[in-house]
Amino acid sequence: MSSISQAALQNLDEPSRKEIMQFIESENSKSKVQMSIHSFTDMCFKKCNAHKPITSGTLDFAEEQCLTNCLNRFLDTNIKVVQALQGAQK
Amino acid sequence: MALFGAPSTSTASSVNSVQSQQLKQQIQDQISQELAVANATELVNKITENCFDKCITNPQISLNPQEDGCVNQCLEKYMRSWNVISKSYITRIQQSNQ
Repeated sequence: MSSISQAALQNLDEPSRKEIMQFIESENSKSKVQMSIHSFTDMCFKKCNAHKPITSGTLDFAEEQCLTNCLNRFLDTNIKVVQALQGAQK
Repeated sequence: MALFGAPSTSTASSVNSVQSQQLKQQIQDQISQELAVANATELVNKITENCFDKCITNPQISLNPQEDGCVNQCLEKYMRSWNVISKSYITRIQQSNQ
């Protein structure tokens, strides 16, 4: 899998190390956002297509609206839950 | 000593820095590549799950034309949905950062 040798890694100079660490951090947060989008799409696709068969490959206005509402209300709910738990802690 | 020593060490360290640059690029490319594969795999899995659920309610000996068409439409609809969710989510993140 990995073609990078251990010895070569140890010889990496300091600036390169730093750049790699920054690169990993940014790729990591990008990947987290992407994975969230996967789980939201999964959830909202199920919700918005629950009571109807798939009859076209496109999204009509109502379907698009359903998806954005689904996402935004989910995030609202998430914030509410966090706030409620923070309140309960005090 | 300094006369001979200094240039030789600076050459050595600049060679090392070129090697480091190359290695760094190699590592970053590999990371990007693996994340792209992970992202694509996740998309394939989610689409398969959702569209199988939606289109193949009663599995037969093979996919019939109707199921086949449904899967194609479902796949397209799912990817469009992914883009809508992605756009809305990023908008929302940007709003909350302001």
